[in-house]
Amino acid sequence: MEIVIPGDMILDKPIHMENTFIEDGKTYAAVLGIFDQEKKTLIPLEGLWYPKHGELVVGIIIEEKLNSYVVDLNAPYKGILVAKYVRDKLSVGDIIEATVKELDETKTVVLMRERKLYGGKIIDVKPSKVPRIIGKNNTMIKQLTEGTKSTIIVGMNGRVWIKGGDIALTTKAILRIQEEAHTSGLTDRIREMLEKSNKEQ
Amino acid sequence: MGSSTNKPELIVNGKRLDGRAFDELRPIKIEAGVLKNADGSAYLEWGKNKIFAAVYGPKEALPKHTGDPEKAVIKCRYSMAPFSSLEEHGRSGPNRRAIEISKVTKEVFENVIMSENFPGTEIDIFIEVVQSDGGTRAAGITAAAVALATSGIPMRDLPYAVSAGKIGEHVIIDLNKIEDNYSDADMPMAISPRTGNVLLLQMDGSLTRDEFKQAVEMVKKAGQTISRIQREALKAPYEKISNKYK
Repeated sequence: MEIVIPGDMILDKPIHMENTFIEDGKTYAAVLGIFDQEKKTLIPLEGLWYPKHGELVVGIIIEEKLNSYVVDLNAPYKGILVAKYVRDKLSVGDIIEATVKELDETKTVVLMRERKLYGGKIIDVKPSKVPRIIGKNNTMIKQLTEGTKSTIIVGMNGRVWIKGGDIALTTKAILRIQEEAHTSGLTDRIREMLEKSNKEQ
Repeated sequence: MGSSTNKPELIVNGKRLDGRAFDELRPIKIEAGVLKNADGSAYLEWGKNKIFAAVYGPKEALPKHTGDPEKAVIKCRYSMAPFSSLEEHGRSGPNRRAIEISKVTKEVFENVIMSENFPGTEIDIFIEVVQSDGGTRAAGITAAAVALATSGIPMRDLPYAVSAGKIGEHVIIDLNKIEDNYSDADMPMAISPRTGNVLLLQMDGSLTRDEFKQAVEMVKKAGQTISRIQREALKAPYEKISNKYK
């Protein structure tokens, strides 16, 4: 596990991985990240969300059109919901969770299976840290929900929706996970933090 | 340039005016990720130069007709603060010089950013010179490279830039303001350290063929130091947090 910088050679043979590129039969890092030599993966430390089919996102309706809704996704591309398939009437400013159907040829993110979220609070995090907030087999997010009694929806686009429970503690914990995402033993530290804070109350 | 009639003595006792050797860089300090609102940022101090670089994007290209359906469009703005220099430099907003530097900087990064990954978008690079003392275009490119890396935009390399020049018969590296104004040649270069590709090469004044070769060698040697500082700056914020929990 070491930090690599764009242009660093990580393997002397060509292997296709995310966030890398191949030149003259060698593999190079394309982003600032951590390279895992055993698993052969490059985990980016910073970066944007790039839409993939089937991913859950949290978005905000920013425009109503005749037959569709435009959704802000905190990403390079805008999301779109086809009104024909939308169950409830949505209006500008509504928060929704939805699943990515596809990134179409005009580079709009087509969404499906939307659900309106009522109330709650949204925080923006770095999309590259989202896997850490969810944790391996959802361990981190389970621990957070149990410790704070909040309902949490984590969008892969780096938007987290929180409702109920100890919102302040949840926010604090999520921001801490974001900051310390690249360190090991984070799950234990967050557990300690939640236990300590629950004892004080 | 050497045209001035009352040219000051630039080399005293075999050393330059600020006491440096011919192949010595000014002290460089880089801090990555200093601006929270930007997607990527860096602050650089290079001698007396103080420069902020910020990166926004990729985001939807606006106005829409500027977008390219095949790749991201890179936009760059270099600007000097009105208070950045002692003389007429940067007294007002965009001028001929700033537009030129913006253009060459943009071309440097068009060669390293993997823009084909983000069609229809734009990437904005801002270079803001707060205090200047010569060699700001090179310093600006060095800072912007770090800012781009902290934004997570995929790149093929982390370029650096530095200028070489000539005083009398001596080839020197990293000219400051007074050397820049009165030297016999000033040649900023940007290089991609992985491949050795030259991304920027400009020159004022004149160099012979041998002097040019010597200058390029000096730039590449100095580049190792600059690259090292860039890498350390990028790793520092993460290592600081990692070390806390060792």
